[in-house]
Amino acid sequence: MAEHHTASDCKHKTSSNAGGSVSGNGRPNSPAGCGGSGGLSGGLTQPAGWQSLLSFTILFLAWLAGFSSRLFAVIRFESIIHEFDPWFNYRSTHHLTTNGFYEFLNWFDERAWYPLGRIVGGTVYPGLMVTAGLIHYILNLLHVTVHIRDVCVFLAPVFSGLTAISTFLLTRELWNQGAGLLAACFIAIVPGYISRSVAGSFDNEGIAIFALQFTYYLWVKSVKTGSVFWAIGCCLSYFYMVSAWGGYVFIINLIPLHVFALLLMQRFSRRLYIAYSTFYIVGLVLSMQIPFVGFQPIRTSEHMAAAGVFALLQAYAFLQYLKDRLTRQEFQTLFFLGVSLAAGVVFLTVIYLTYTGESHLPVMLRYAKIHIPIIASVSEHQPTTWVSFFFDLHILVCTFPAGLWFCIKNINDERVFVALYAISAVYFAGVMVRLMLTLTPVVCMLSAIAFSSVFEHYLGDDMKRENPPAEDSKQDRPEEGLGPNIKSIVTMLMLMLLMMFAVHCTWVTSNAYSSPSVVLASYNHDGSRNILDDFREAYYWLRQNTDEHARVMSWWDYGYQIAGMANRTTLVDNNTWNNSHIALVGKAMSSNESAAYEIMKSLDVDYVLIIFGGVIGYSGDDINKFLWMVRIAEGEHPKDIRESDYFTPQGEFRVDKAGSPTLLNCLMYKMSYYRFGPYTRLDFRTPPGFDRTRNAEIGNKDIRLKHLEEAFTSEHWLVRIYRVKKQENRQALDHKLRNIAAKQKYTSKKVLPSLFH
Amino acid sequence: VDAVAASEMFYKLLIVVFLAVSLQGAPADGQKKKETLLSEKVSQMMEWTSKRAVIRLNGEKFRRLIRAPPRNYSVIIMFTALQPQRQCGVCKQADEEYQILANSWRYSNAFTNRIFFAMVDFDEGSDVFQMLNMNSAPTFINFPAKGKPKRADTYELQVRGFAAEQLARWVADRTDVHIRVIRPPNYAGPLMLGLLLAFIGSLAYVRRNNLEFLFNKNVWAFSALCFVLIMTSGQMWNHIRGPPYAHKNPNTGQVSYIHGSSQAQFVAETHIVLLFNAAVTLGIVLLHEAATSDLDVGKRKIMCVAGIGLVVLFFSWLLSIFRAKYHGYPYSFLLG
Repeated sequence: MAEHHTASDCKHKTSSNAGGSVSGNGRPNSPAGCGGSGGLSGGLTQPAGWQSLLSFTILFLAWLAGFSSRLFAVIRFESIIHEFDPWFNYRSTHHLTTNGFYEFLNWFDERAWYPLGRIVGGTVYPGLMVTAGLIHYILNLLHVTVHIRDVCVFLAPVFSGLTAISTFLLTRELWNQGAGLLAACFIAIVPGYISRSVAGSFDNEGIAIFALQFTYYLWVKSVKTGSVFWAIGCCLSYFYMVSAWGGYVFIINLIPLHVFALLLMQRFSRRLYIAYSTFYIVGLVLSMQIPFVGFQPIRTSEHMAAAGVFALLQAYAFLQYLKDRLTRQEFQTLFFLGVSLAAGVVFLTVIYLTYTGESHLPVMLRYAKIHIPIIASVSEHQPTTWVSFFFDLHILVCTFPAGLWFCIKNINDERVFVALYAISAVYFAGVMVRLMLTLTPVVCMLSAIAFSSVFEHYLGDDMKRENPPAEDSKQDRPEEGLGPNIKSIVTMLMLMLLMMFAVHCTWVTSNAYSSPSVVLASYNHDGSRNILDDFREAYYWLRQNTDEHARVMSWWDYGYQIAGMANRTTLVDNNTWNNSHIALVGKAMSSNESAAYEIMKSLDVDYVLIIFGGVIGYSGDDINKFLWMVRIAEGEHPKDIRESDYFTPQGEFRVDKAGSPTLLNCLMYKMSYYRFGPYTRLDFRTPPGFDRTRNAEIGNKDIRLKHLEEAFTSEHWLVRIYRVKKQENRQALDHKLRNIAAKQKYTSKKVLPSLFH
Repeated sequence: VDAVAASEMFYKLLIVVFLAVSLQGAPADGQKKKETLLSEKVSQMMEWTSKRAVIRLNGEKFRRLIRAPPRNYSVIIMFTALQPQRQCGVCKQADEEYQILANSWRYSNAFTNRIFFAMVDFDEGSDVFQMLNMNSAPTFINFPAKGKPKRADTYELQVRGFAAEQLARWVADRTDVHIRVIRPPNYAGPLMLGLLLAFIGSLAYVRRNNLEFLFNKNVWAFSALCFVLIMTSGQMWNHIRGPPYAHKNPNTGQVSYIHGSSQAQFVAETHIVLLFNAAVTLGIVLLHEAATSDLDVGKRKIMCVAGIGLVVLFFSWLLSIFRAKYHGYPYSFLLG
């Protein structure tokens, strides 16, 4: 367990701001015994009290290390909710704490998806909000007055500690205590999990991984003991998982798969029967209590495997029962018939459901990639490169196959489970970057098993040396040992690898996963830091200066933030449930101004908000996302919007003079570059109107707006807000003014009407 | 005199009538000729289409059927160079997609003679290429039923790619003919699965007296490891994105196996990573075996050293590849 201390030491070195540098320097000798203690029974030399104290300390330190390494964003910036989805979660948690649970369940949010609105209570997984609300309630009950925002910000780091503990418990059930402690240390700091659980990232996944691991632990426990108590515990944990995250589908397929595999391996037992029957029935009933899930568990194809396996298990148990009552001959015929019939039925059902079911994951993904730009436009729905695997898991990705090898070589009921878990999770992680999250826990467990089974033999040699005289000569040969030199070299090298892992985790967390993306930071040459707080500046402007019921149009990415920070009505947001509504906004952004004005009038838009990074070189701005707007709009309005119109004849997307005229005159371009051309000269090396993000001098510098007027532009021009002018009371005529030439002496009445044609 | 005058009148009248008839007859005749020519052309096109979804044209046919005026059908033409000596890899891929599109149209219920698919190979109709002043292949041009091709009648290959679906959208855009692309189902997957099942079945049948191998943990563990290694080395990404095997720099002729960016990868690179991951795994297993097996100490020592060597060497190598790809990553181990 010494590597844990190196891990936590590194952690404290790098994040020394986080608080006291707790280091267990005195302990590296003793954990060696602990690592090997799973295999050896050192009852006399190692009192049980020591062992549990040590485990407790290590788990506590793992929790602390995990918690503090997630605080980069809070220390660098402030206690703030990150990104996009968390803002919605925060807003609904706020609603929950101010209005109560029932009001939250019935909440109809008229501030989103104007003019449609959104039924929030029925379209969210409420677990996250209820958890945060409950913690807030309890703290307030104890007169610890904290703001709900702080509860939300620190919820995920706190839960990461619980995840570490449940991973420890699960790994202990699978292998031994030493591996469990290693696994807990791994999961506390591994980037694959930190990416979704830094402080401020108040999202479903933050608590769901804990629920996932805990459900699996209770499942393994109930299969091992066969007691209804553990099975009910598993159901309750499953219920929590269902309430927290849509990923519960993974559980409800993996557990039946485990049962099915055990049946195939002829490992059926009463314990299994009790565990699964209880889990399926109670879990089903409980999961249907979540409004968002409703009747899905008995209707959709994702849940059918569980039902099929339940039926199969009953049939199998029935046959086992008959086996005791019938003669061998009768039974064999019956068994053969029954099994083949049942297998046939299950097989056909599965085939049928796969081909007709609406959401078989890879099929759905492939379909979505071709047909729905809105899904393809989200970067986390992409397949995973090996670099992402390595980035998120580092050494664990190389070593966990070894753990899988050891598990399969020494197979038992629960190791079947972890093998299936690993294989299915690695498949899903390969298909979609986002599902790396479900792979991470099992990789930590299996790597811990691999490392633990190495350390077990290479750290604990002194223990074995002392024993030989007591043993008989048969065991003498393995006791000859590899010699202390080799052993210590191996140990040293392995520890160095683990140290590399800890350093890597810290670096990745600090550099890649700790940006709130609501507040940006830039660094000068001398290392001093500039904070770009344009987003909040603009949102507060909206909050203070616009009518309470003003409707703000923006691209969907910013919907939750506008609702959360500016408290104004939005047209589209990150929920993206209504593609045609989003396409309408996309169409408005990509049409010319007068066509866009018609759309905005029909949608009652008062303000338009865009993100523009050309001044400071921020690459995630709306012009860079613009092609997705065009694509999504084209999907719904192919006659009016064509993607090819926005490219140059050479097929390039350019904003300079060579860019396509359609692009240079569309609303998004005009709003982004309004006033940018002639008046701004950022420095003397570049011409006026030089866009730093795209490194080009813009093509249309003389931008005049007719139906819109600039309302607000933030300090670094990052956010620009335009007011949509009301229609004039009297329509101005588009005609030219009557122009009477001076030379004309008289006008005959015959000529006159022709002037008014 | 009167009679003469009358006869003269009569002749004049006759001439006038004749002239009138002949004048009236001349356009009617031309119209008929045009129609017959047109129907001839259409039936010719239909006949060729029934033989082959994509009509092959040479210079002469192109001038007669496409360039010459009477035409009431649109023709989509792919200008390409399919001869092997031209070494046009893109042309082949584009041709496959084009064939899919043409076949989807040929065998669809909505098939009419309003639109035809044709192609001109450079080696059969280089004069056409010259006539149209074209210097790149493949190029898709729509020759509309009325008038000459406009700018938008040339398909923007660079922008839209040559997927049959994209081509179909362009065709629908230009000619109002909507084609539902039907790809011939890929039988390779199910066939492979069937073969595999048959293989396993026959194996089980041959060894029906001894089914021990089904319970052999090594086999299962090995296949599980293979699957895991395949997935973690990013083969699924390759499957979906279809990157090249390696990149050859056209200027220097240098072949690079590792993609420079962390957002993408070559197939060769993933194979290397797979091997490295497997080596590290093997190293760990060897370390464990060295400590637990019953062999004599010398062999176990060798195993142990080999194991730790594999782990450390291949991991640091992997780390250095990662570092080369992920710019700004500060750490390395043993190898730069």
